[in-house]
Order: sequence, then C-alpha cells, then structure tokens
Amino acid sequence: MMQSTTTFVSKTIRQGDLLAGRVAEASALAGVFGFFSRCLEEEVDLAFAERIRGELRQPLKAFGLIFDEEFYAVPAESLVETLDEEYTGLFVAPGSVSPYASVFETGCMFKEPADRALTAYRQAGWDYKRRLSGEFPDHIGTMLGFYAILAEAESESLTVADISRADGYKTQRNRFLDEQLGPWGPGWCRRAAEAALHPFYEKLLQILEQALWAELVQIVDRRRLRELVELNQRRPKHLDYDADFRKASGL
Amino acid sequence: MSESCKYSRRDFIKLGSALGAASGAVGFGSRRLMAMEEALGDKDFSPMTGEERQAVPYTCLACNIQDGGMAYIEKGRIVKLEGNMDHPNTRGKLCAKGNAGFLHVYDPDRIMTPLLRTGKRGEGKWKRISYDEATTLLAKKLREVIDRSQATQDPGILNEIVFKWGRDRNGGTVGRFMHALGSNTMLNHTNICESSKKVGLESSWGPDIESCDWANTKYILNFGSNILESAYFMNPNAQRLVDGVVGNKAKLVSFDVRMSNTAGFSDEAYFPYPGTDSAIALAICHVIMKEGLYDADFIRDWTNVTAEQLIEHLKPYTPEFAEDESGVPAKDIRRIAHEFASTKPATTFSYRGPCKHLWGAYQEAAIHMINVITGNVEKKGGYCLPRGMGWPQPEPTPAKGKTPSPIAAPPLYPLASHHVSTHAPYMVMNGEAKVSVWMSYYDNPVYTYPSSHVWEHFLKDEALVPFLVSFSPYMSETTELADLIIPDVTYLERHDPESMPSGLYPCLSIRQPVIEPLGGTQEFRQSLIDVIHKVDPDGSLGAKRYFAFDTVEDWMKAHFDNIPGLKEDGGWEFMKKKGVWPIYGEVDKRTAKIVDRNGNEVDPDYGLYSKEIADADMQGAEIDENGTITKDGHAIGIRMDSKNRVGFGTPSRRIELYKESYRKYGFNPLPVYKRLPSRDKQPSELVLTTFKVNVHTQSRTASVKYLAELYHKNPAWVNPKSAAARGIRDGDLIRVSSSLGYIVTRAHVTEGVHPDVVAISTACGHSAYGRLAQLKNKLQPAEWAQGGDPDIANNVWWNDKGVHPNPIIRLAVDPIGGSQGWYDTLVKVSKAQPGDKYGDTKVSIEAALEDYQETLRYAYTGDIHRKKHKEVDVDWDNLPEPVLQMSGH
Repeated sequence: MMQSTTTFVSKTIRQGDLLAGRVAEASALAGVFGFFSRCLEEEVDLAFAERIRGELRQPLKAFGLIFDEEFYAVPAESLVETLDEEYTGLFVAPGSVSPYASVFETGCMFKEPADRALTAYRQAGWDYKRRLSGEFPDHIGTMLGFYAILAEAESESLTVADISRADGYKTQRNRFLDEQLGPWGPGWCRRAAEAALHPFYEKLLQILEQALWAELVQIVDRRRLRELVELNQRRPKHLDYDADFRKASGL
Repeated sequence: MSESCKYSRRDFIKLGSALGAASGAVGFGSRRLMAMEEALGDKDFSPMTGEERQAVPYTCLACNIQDGGMAYIEKGRIVKLEGNMDHPNTRGKLCAKGNAGFLHVYDPDRIMTPLLRTGKRGEGKWKRISYDEATTLLAKKLREVIDRSQATQDPGILNEIVFKWGRDRNGGTVGRFMHALGSNTMLNHTNICESSKKVGLESSWGPDIESCDWANTKYILNFGSNILESAYFMNPNAQRLVDGVVGNKAKLVSFDVRMSNTAGFSDEAYFPYPGTDSAIALAICHVIMKEGLYDADFIRDWTNVTAEQLIEHLKPYTPEFAEDESGVPAKDIRRIAHEFASTKPATTFSYRGPCKHLWGAYQEAAIHMINVITGNVEKKGGYCLPRGMGWPQPEPTPAKGKTPSPIAAPPLYPLASHHVSTHAPYMVMNGEAKVSVWMSYYDNPVYTYPSSHVWEHFLKDEALVPFLVSFSPYMSETTELADLIIPDVTYLERHDPESMPSGLYPCLSIRQPVIEPLGGTQEFRQSLIDVIHKVDPDGSLGAKRYFAFDTVEDWMKAHFDNIPGLKEDGGWEFMKKKGVWPIYGEVDKRTAKIVDRNGNEVDPDYGLYSKEIADADMQGAEIDENGTITKDGHAIGIRMDSKNRVGFGTPSRRIELYKESYRKYGFNPLPVYKRLPSRDKQPSELVLTTFKVNVHTQSRTASVKYLAELYHKNPAWVNPKSAAARGIRDGDLIRVSSSLGYIVTRAHVTEGVHPDVVAISTACGHSAYGRLAQLKNKLQPAEWAQGGDPDIANNVWWNDKGVHPNPIIRLAVDPIGGSQGWYDTLVKVSKAQPGDKYGDTKVSIEAALEDYQETLRYAYTGDIHRKKHKEVDVDWDNLPEPVLQMSGH
C-alpha cells in the first residue's frame, strides 16, 4: 500500500515535473522565437535596443548571441540608426535578401506561400494586418512570430492543465514548422547571414538557423529531415556550358 | 450484328473520311461544347478548377501605345493579361511587353515602401519609412520653397520646384500639382523622343502625329519607322499595316539605315545615308510637282502656298541631288514618285528615323508635304489626322505659375513647344536656373539621355540639386541617386484617364487597379493629394482646393461622369466595366475588322477638316478676307464653298506648308534639306545610330524576365565592308569611340546595316533596375533568396547584359523642334585594345559640356544657324530677342 502510495506519489511528481518541463519548454520557445520574430519582422527601435543591451545581454550571451564591445558602447540612437539602415538594405530595399517565402519559393512576391501562411494564421484564430506597405503574411519574421504564439498558447494551456488543448497547439506548431518554415527558413537564414554586413543580424541569423534545425530535428523523422536539408540547400543552377558569346546577333 | 448493319473496316474509314471532310463545311458534332480557349477574349478559365476568372479591363502602359487590356484575376492575383476586345483600335491584342506586364507587379526587386537616403547620395543606403512620413517630408521641403518665395515676394523662386517625367499618363495630374504649387518647371522627355516630328507637323496642320489608314491604303512610303516592332502605335499600326499589305495588296516601300523587320517586310527597302530622308522626300515632291502629278484643287483650297511657289521652291531637289546625298538611286526616286502620285489612296508614315537629327523638323515637314500635294489627306486609305477624345478636368483648376521657367522653355528654342529637357542639367550647372526640389516620375535620364553620364554628374551634386525625390517603384539608375523614394504602384494597380489616337476610331479608356495595390502600396495620385494637403493643411495657400478629392476614384468620376454620351451610358461605372468608350461594334472573328450587329464594317469618319461648324458655334464669329473664321480671338474654321468648315488646327485653318513662325527666327519657312555635319564625315568614321526592339521599352522592361530572356544583349551592327576595312570579324570585341570617350562591345557583322553606320540597340547594359537587368543574380556568389522557381531563378541562362551606348552619344539638338539628334554622332570603330573588357565605358564630362556649347551655336541666335540659313529672307540683324515664354508650361 505504502509502496503503491509511493509509486502513485512519485508518478504524480513525475507527471508534475513533466508538465512543468513542458510548460517551461513551450514558454521558452515562445520567448526565443518571439525574440527572433521581433528582430526580423521590423527594425530595432530604441526601447528594444536598450533591452538587448541591458536586461537581455547576459541571457543572449548564454544563448550564443555575443556581440563586440562596440555594440554595447555606442550611443543607443546611433546603434538604432545603423541597424535601421542595415535592416533596410538587408531585408527591404531592392537587391535585398527578400524575407518572404513567396520570393524564395517562386521568385515573385505575394504568391501561394503567402496564402498558406495566412490560412494557418486564420485557422488558429489570428488575422494579418500589415503595418507598413510592402509587407506580406509570409514574412519570415511574422511566421516566426506565429510559431511563438502557438508555443505561448500551448504553455498557457498547460499551465491550466488543459492538456488536450495544449496538444492541439503543439500539433499546429509542429505542422507549421515542418510544412511552412522548415523547407526554406534555415537555408534562408544561412544566406541572409552571409549577406549581412552588421554582426547583429549576422549572428542573429546564424543562431536562428541553428534554432530552427534544433526544433526540426525533434519533430520529423530522418527521411523528412534529409528532405528538409536538401530543400534548404537549394541554390540556382549554374549551367556548365560556356555561355560566352557564340553568335553576335543578340536576337 | 445484323446483315443490314454489316460494314467493312474499309467502308468505315471511307465514311469517316467523307464525314470528316464534310464537317468542315456544315459543322458536325456538338454545337454546344466549345473549347474554353476558343472564346474570343474577355473570358478565361482556371485550368485547375475550371472556374471562370475575374476579368478586369485596363489600359496598358508597358510602353506608350496604351493598348486596351483585360486582366484575369484568380484569388486576388493577376494570372494573365490579354487584349480588350472592346477596344476598337487594338482589337483584343497586346504585344509581348503587354503580355509580360504582370511581372512588373510581382518583381521582388520592386520598391514596396518609401525609402529615405541614409548614406551619401547614390551610395545605396536607405531607411524605410511610411507613406505618411514620406509625403510629410516632401511637403516640408516644398513648403520651405513656397515660404521663401512669399517672404521675398518673388514668385520666380517657385520655379525652383522641378518636376520631370519620362512618361506621364496621369491625364493632367502633374500640371495640376505643379500649378497648385505655383511652379512652371515641368519637363517631359519628348525632346529625346520625337519632338521635332511634333513641331514639324503641328506647325503644318495642327496635331502632332498622323494616323494612317493602313488597312485601306494601296501604297505606303515608310521613312525611318519600324512599324512592325517599335514605332509609335506599334500594336495597332502593325495590325493594320498587315491588313493593308496582305489583305489589301498595298505596296510598302521603306527607307531605313538598318534592315529592321519592317524593312524586311517591305516590297522595296532602301538604305539611305542617315539624315537624308528629306532630300528623298523633297525629290519625290519635286517630281510630282514638276510633272504635274499633284492635286491642284487641294493645294489651292487647303494650303497656304500655290503650286507655282512649290515648283519653284523644289527646283534644286532633283532626284539626282537626292541620290548624291542619300545614295538612293534617282531612277527609283523618280519611279516611286510616279507610283505614289498615281496610286490612290496612298500615305506616308515616319517616326524617329528622320526627325531625330539636327533640323529634324524640316525632315518631318518634307515627308508630310508628299501627302498634301497628292491630296491624300483625310481620305479613306490615306494620311489622316489623329483621332483622340478629351475629358474635362475637375473644377477648379489652378492657373499656371506667375513666372516662366527658363529650363522648361529655354529662350533660345522658341519653336520647341515640347521642351528641351536635355539642356536642363547644363543650364543649372551654368547658373541659368536654380533647383531646390527635383521630382522624378517614370523617368531615368541617367540611363536614357544622350551623354547620360552628365545626368549622373548633375543629379549627384547636392549643391545643384539639394533634394531629389523619385516616385519610381523600381531602383533605376536615376532613382538610386534619390534622397527620398515615394514608390508609385505599377500601371496595373492605379487609376488614369486615357485617350490615345492609335487608330481611326476615337475613344476614351481608363486605367484602374485590376488588383488591390500590392502590399498596401500607394498610387502616385494619392501621394500627390497627401502632399498638397500637408503643404496647405488649412487651405490658406489656395492649393488644397484643387485636390479636394476624398478618394482617387472620386477624381476619376469628376473626369468621366459628365461627358455627353458617356454620361448616359453610365459614366465612370461604364468605364470600370468596359474599360473603353464608345463601343463601336465587335471584332469580326474572320477579318478582325470592327463590325456592327449585321456584320458590316463600321466605317471611321474621314474628311474631318471639311466638317461644317455648327450654327451655334458660329454665333459671334467673324470671317476675314482670306476666309478664316475667328471667334474670341481664335481661328475656329474657314469659309469655303459657301460653307463654314473647321479646317486644320493652324492660324489660317489651312495646311501651312509655308511657316511664318519659322521665318521669324531665320529658319526656312518651307520644308528644306540641310546637309548634316555627319554627312561630311571622314572615311574612318561611322554614324552611330540606335534602335528599339519589339520586346523592350528604352529602359523600363529590362527587369522583366520573359522579355529579358528574349532580348538582353546589343552587339554593334557593322556592315561587312566596314568591318573588313577595320579588320573586324563577327563577335570580335570592339571599341566604339566618339569625341566623348568610348565603350567596349562586340561586333555583329551583317549586311543589314548601311556601310557608313554602326547601329546599337537600346534597352541593354543597365547598371541598375534590379538584379535581372544587371544580371547580378548570375554574378552574386551567394545566391541570396534566389528561390526555387525553375524559371525565374534557374533559367537566367544568359551571361551577357549588353552595353549601353548613350554615354558616347553627343548632345546635338534640332534648333527648331528641340529633338535630340540621336543619329548624328560620329564614331570610330576599331578592334578592342589590350586590356579592354566587354562593357568598359570611359567618357568625359568636359567633352559633354563642350557639346552643349556647340549645339547652342545651331540655335536661332547662333553663328552656325545664320551660316546655314543664308537663303532665308529675314532681317538677320534684328531677329527677335530671346525671351522667357509662358508657352510650353
């Protein structure tokens, strides 16, 4: 009886630990991917910059986001201006690394991937409203934000012990990661990091790539993982024949 | 099977064959089922779902022909563009540029949000801002100029606000905006296009272009126009040229320095020396007049000269003279003159070839005269006036600014009524005008102008141009230099009124958003409303009332809701539904002619000049001794055959072959041939000419994948004789050098070009305009977000983006019409030198500044002008003083 009671108690404790662990994990996912979302969906403003250099400095450092001393030493206004310029050059202006799934997948803006993302948002009870012109639902920052929202909802459901609801959010989250972010997100991060001129975005994107792979590894089997690796290695083909001038007509 | 039904396989085949043959005539099979693609326009279906796609009419602006288009929309996206079957002049057809137009919308290198420069000008560093912030900033800059003008009580300061456009199809919007601000400094691009054609024609008969009745003609003389590929009204004119040549057995004779596709399509093609078209045209006139082949009645009644005057004037222009100048055999000129005069109806057509030279206006006037003396004007199958329709401007409309603008109307070019925009940077650099805010719309002078490097030099200089704004949705060579970019939407996402005289059926059409502006972008018209409301928030400046539109659509309604006839049909709502008005009939499926309900062709109106003036309009009119009818100080018609006729749009209401306005400034009042400096070139030199191709505009289409794939490199066309003399073989790397510097390109050795000419097309060799135009997606080692699309990303198979010739083209302006002499630059062509790389361009600013001084010597006050016009009967010592004029504003 004692034993059985002990067993029951330890099971309860274990279940409680598991639940707490899951809450912590979901909450952390919400926090981390929410941070990535905020960094990529729009420019860093003064308040956000101060938080990155202040209360978040150590946690980010522990996570691997380490910047040089200048990053912490320059006046905040100056840093924000520099990051604004870098953000526009890297993600907005013509010639940038377009942050949209549509451009990555089709070469054009606002194609079917934008619809797929919007459908996922709406199925989860969220709508999309741009803040500036030229923004679409399949922006990587927005997609990461949606992933964070689902993780947050999962965490909240777990907190009130609504396991079934939490599982639903987790299923949605995993599916979104596998189907919508996974096929292009990590590869995009790698390429964007290569193009970044400012270490803030370069390191952020490198860490994000790792974070996305870390999540994907947990939710897909090896075969799918191989597929995703290949999808994220996509690059334009370079024809191997010599396309130099053969006939001068130009016609 | 019963005996009665027994048949052999052979019988079966035999019967089937017979039925198959018969079915062509009587149509066996279901008469209900129809392949979806057989519907003749205006309908389209999704191949995935079979559902009918939403069809939205619009007017194309891929180039400037303004074809009627129909956009097909699926799930809020443009999936296909084709012609609008209700448009009477383009008859349901778009060209390649028009079909590919939707790629402009989804181009990932499109500018989707206002950008504020953060680095040095042209450095490429930007910060994105909202439309609200952008229009507030522009309003602040404009208001500073206005406040300075008010503080000093100097309205001339307002002309420091400059608006320059390359293609303005906004139906008066820019003029309204600039006049509301009090500035007259508006500059178009027309002098790098066909302004001398316009000035040559306007002074002759009123309008600035002809509308040939190609389909019904029997003889066409084509001077320097690539009708089938690129000339004005390419799509509708090409359709009807084919109708005429193939369907009506018309003869087509072309004069061009290059074997264009139109020259190749011709019955006869001649390759004259560049700029000698008027020698040929005048020789044709000489033969017609001398041999009495002219229409005596038409010359007597409808021109301001006599046949005798013309015969006398044309005496020197013999076919032999023309042969000496042009190289076209005199016997052929004589024969062509006979054929043209004796074949009725007949028409000429000309475009940039003749007019883009020094004195290009003379060339156009000479060609025009062939039609006049043969009485082909406004005849069925002849040389007709253009047919357009106007629309009212919403009231109230602002008055012009109080002070003329020197760069909008340079005083040395009093006849150039379409601006001389090439001169603007030179005038500002010389201190002849000042700039505070320069606004650029659909314009890319850093790429499209002669000596284009001068524009880059000028626009980069913040002392000369303190604030540069671009409204472009694409990062062109000019937009790269902007301080502020407020991107417009594409032509498929905005509103404009339109009426283009692209055929013989006058009509109105519209541009309307076929989809919601992508990603919340804002159309230009709305940005201007916002700017004016911020410049004049309380209305005290008097500008806001001209922009009192709640929405852009309200603005459109103000244009269209009260036009007689259209109003009864539904006004703006009708236009939204049909895209064009009136509806003349439908396109016949066999003949492609416009037919009525009974299948009869709808005939256009002819003889417009002989229409009678309504009695009501004659109230208060006066008739002078020459028969000219005037009212309120303006000529409105002419009294002839006891009738009051509208005549032509000239002061005398006749065709003015003799132009007093020309004589006043020492130009010959009658059409003449002036030997160009390039005609006296050294044997080692060639004349550089440029040309357009059928799938590109000059600048805007290089970023469109479908079009760039078709045409992306522009080797220099060199005749085999010229090439051999220089040791050049097909494909060789060559230097093309003018007095400005040189470019390094490749040779295309072909007999399809005059031996004294080297021809290089436009549209290639961009240093901006997105990654595709620059082929940067091939050059980037990191494949940033190229994506996985097998076409857009992987099929950019070409490694050659071409070489842009404009930096070595000299500024040389027609002193009459103001056109740039694109085909007057002399060059030397040689094999490339050691170390030369394909695309190398080295040019001098100093040499370009000397060209500016040189071209001013041809202006009416210049020494060369006087030397070249000794025959003109004018008091040379008392020519009018150069004055600033309000005309042209």
